[in-house]
Amino acid sequence: MATITVDDAAPGTRRTPRRPNPGRKIRRRNTAIGWTFILPNFVGFALLTLIPVLVLFYMAFTNWDVFGSATWTGLANFKRLLHDATFATAVRNTFYYAVFHIPLTIVVSLALALLLNQKLRGVAFFRTAAFFPYITSIVAIAIVWNLLFSPKYGPINQVLHVLGVANPPGWTTSAQWSMPAVIIVGTWREMGYYMILFLAGLQTVPRELYEAARVDGANAWQRFRNVTMPCLRPTMFFVTVMLTIASFKILDLILVMTEGGPGTSTLVISQFIYQKGFQEFQFGYASAASVVLFLICIVITIVQFVVNKRRAA
Amino acid sequence: MKRSIPAVAALAAVASLALAACSGGTSGGTPTSQASGGTDTGVATAPAAPVELTVSGWSLATTPEFKVLADAFHAKHSNVTVTLKEYDASKYNDLITADLAANAAPDIITQKNVSYVTVFAPKLVDVSDLVAGLPQGINGVKSYEVDGKQYALPYRNDSWVLFYNKDLFDKAGVAIPDGSWTWDDYAAAAKQLTTKLKGAGSQALGTYQHSWQSVIQGFANSQTPGANILSGKYDYMKPYYQRALDLQSAGAQVDAGTITTSKLTYQAEFGKQQAAMMPMGSWFVATLIAQQKSGDADKFAWGFAPIPQLDKSTTGTSATPLTFGDPTGFGINKAIDAKKMQAAKDFLAFAASEDAAKALAQIGITPALTSDTVATTYFATAGAPTDALSKFAWTTHKTAPENPTDKNTAAVQKILGDAHTAIMSGSSSIDAALAQATKRVHDEVGLG
Repeated sequence: MATITVDDAAPGTRRTPRRPNPGRKIRRRNTAIGWTFILPNFVGFALLTLIPVLVLFYMAFTNWDVFGSATWTGLANFKRLLHDATFATAVRNTFYYAVFHIPLTIVVSLALALLLNQKLRGVAFFRTAAFFPYITSIVAIAIVWNLLFSPKYGPINQVLHVLGVANPPGWTTSAQWSMPAVIIVGTWREMGYYMILFLAGLQTVPRELYEAARVDGANAWQRFRNVTMPCLRPTMFFVTVMLTIASFKILDLILVMTEGGPGTSTLVISQFIYQKGFQEFQFGYASAASVVLFLICIVITIVQFVVNKRRAA
Repeated sequence: MKRSIPAVAALAAVASLALAACSGGTSGGTPTSQASGGTDTGVATAPAAPVELTVSGWSLATTPEFKVLADAFHAKHSNVTVTLKEYDASKYNDLITADLAANAAPDIITQKNVSYVTVFAPKLVDVSDLVAGLPQGINGVKSYEVDGKQYALPYRNDSWVLFYNKDLFDKAGVAIPDGSWTWDDYAAAAKQLTTKLKGAGSQALGTYQHSWQSVIQGFANSQTPGANILSGKYDYMKPYYQRALDLQSAGAQVDAGTITTSKLTYQAEFGKQQAAMMPMGSWFVATLIAQQKSGDADKFAWGFAPIPQLDKSTTGTSATPLTFGDPTGFGINKAIDAKKMQAAKDFLAFAASEDAAKALAQIGITPALTSDTVATTYFATAGAPTDALSKFAWTTHKTAPENPTDKNTAAVQKILGDAHTAIMSGSSSIDAALAQATKRVHDEVGLG
């Protein structure tokens, strides 16, 4: 690292021998400039995110209905969560969504990225088209997919009828099929975003490795397995972590597609938190559920870090 | 250490979720309308000094009732200026909650949903002293009573009636409702209409019951003796659900799945003559008149009858039919300047008065007071039905609240809403869904 020495001794004064100055002034100035850049964002983050989150951890141990003071209740909210069957349903449904949505999205977005990483005619158009669902209004997506899933008049079931399926699924109107329907739409919506991440990762894979593999007689699968996948590991790790967190905090899609129903078949933790907080004004209880969701996400993320570290080693 | 970046990102993302779960809305309202004009009629209660009252409202461009009341009040109290503060209708209760908590809410808080009254009560002024002066027969007053104290007064109270399309009834050769119907009579008529309309070449169905839980549960709650959603016992809803499912399977009513997936609207289903009957709140009268005028609805003859009853004991024009509906009212913010208190109380008393009721009736709103004088004004509106049964249905009914005023109402309604979607989608049997609701209300709310 380059250093600049500044001689700030006054003319005529006796100079004492000293070690080269690391450039404190410049460093201070750079630090000040750095803070200037980061401060507006950090102040916003601190006021609107960090402080409320810290308050949330306190609220989780209280009983608070918005007005008045919160009453300290210790672990009561967490004990109540343990015995709340609806919360258990929400946790089960959230895991159901995450367990299917994460691998499905990774497979589909990676396949798309591999396909659109080829030198094809109109590849830019197809990349853009694949990204469109991600930037489309979630409400519009819900309306259109609900129409597609309509058990009686929807084109999906009409195609299934033509293919000989006598009793096609009820999709969003059936407790059994509503979650698969949400997973399909969630995957379709997010695949474009993760495809872009994978595409960026694929373009960092050195061409020479593929050439060397070809020279060694590796077929396409072997090149994918032994060249592409190892080189994509950092991207794959990033995608998995982001996708996991996104899956566990799924809310908007479910709210606009099924509102958690029929019954509680698509009720997820975030919606449970929303209901308890904003519809029933049990902010302490909702905060406790938020803390549980936070812990679930953090534990899974740590596990992913450990697994990734071992693989890297 | 590079790998700590995704960890920080992960934490930030989760933290954002937590924030989303705990942060409230902020005030989004800005004064957009101001009462003006009019002359002081010399009412003794009006303070002499100029006073500005702020009133919360929503969708002011499409909800004219606030400006009508503000103008009418100003005409009687010329020293009082009423300024409306507009809030986003869909987030109204969240935004008002945040403003009340921050002591930044308007002087008068419009009570949009009764289920929030217990939430807002600690921030509202006790106006029990105004109850004695309310006009005789006004609906919805009890909905604003919490622990024996009155926290708001109603100015509007829609109730549910049975809309019917006279032209489709004539086409099918079926007699129009005469006020004597039970729900079994209604179901039989719906099936008959469907069959006969099909025979006459029409695709219209006998009836349209929207997907809301209140369309089934509201009637079960208001008509079954002793029914109470806070009791934790819901067996009494079974006959109402059996009838609804029977209408679906008979093809006399669109199935619940199609309503939700195709996003059917009740306005279009009735307005575009897709159904010959429709149980709906009286607010639809003004909507239908406006839509027939604008061309959004077909032109056809229509009227409304008392809602069908559980049994014959409450049918006929000599009885009082049982129906349901929640009021809309005004409460006073506890943080109001003491100098404005009298003017605010005058505003609440005025909004519940017959003068205000007539002003609301002129724009097609069903006020909390539906006296004969008010009814005459209401039915003089161009496009409104003029038959005697419609007037009877509008003026004569015992209206039970859709949402009992209780801190547990929101939680119980959510559980009953889950039971409703489970039953109507066929995902669960009626018995199983209602038993599950009973269990959940007991376990989660502690009732029953």
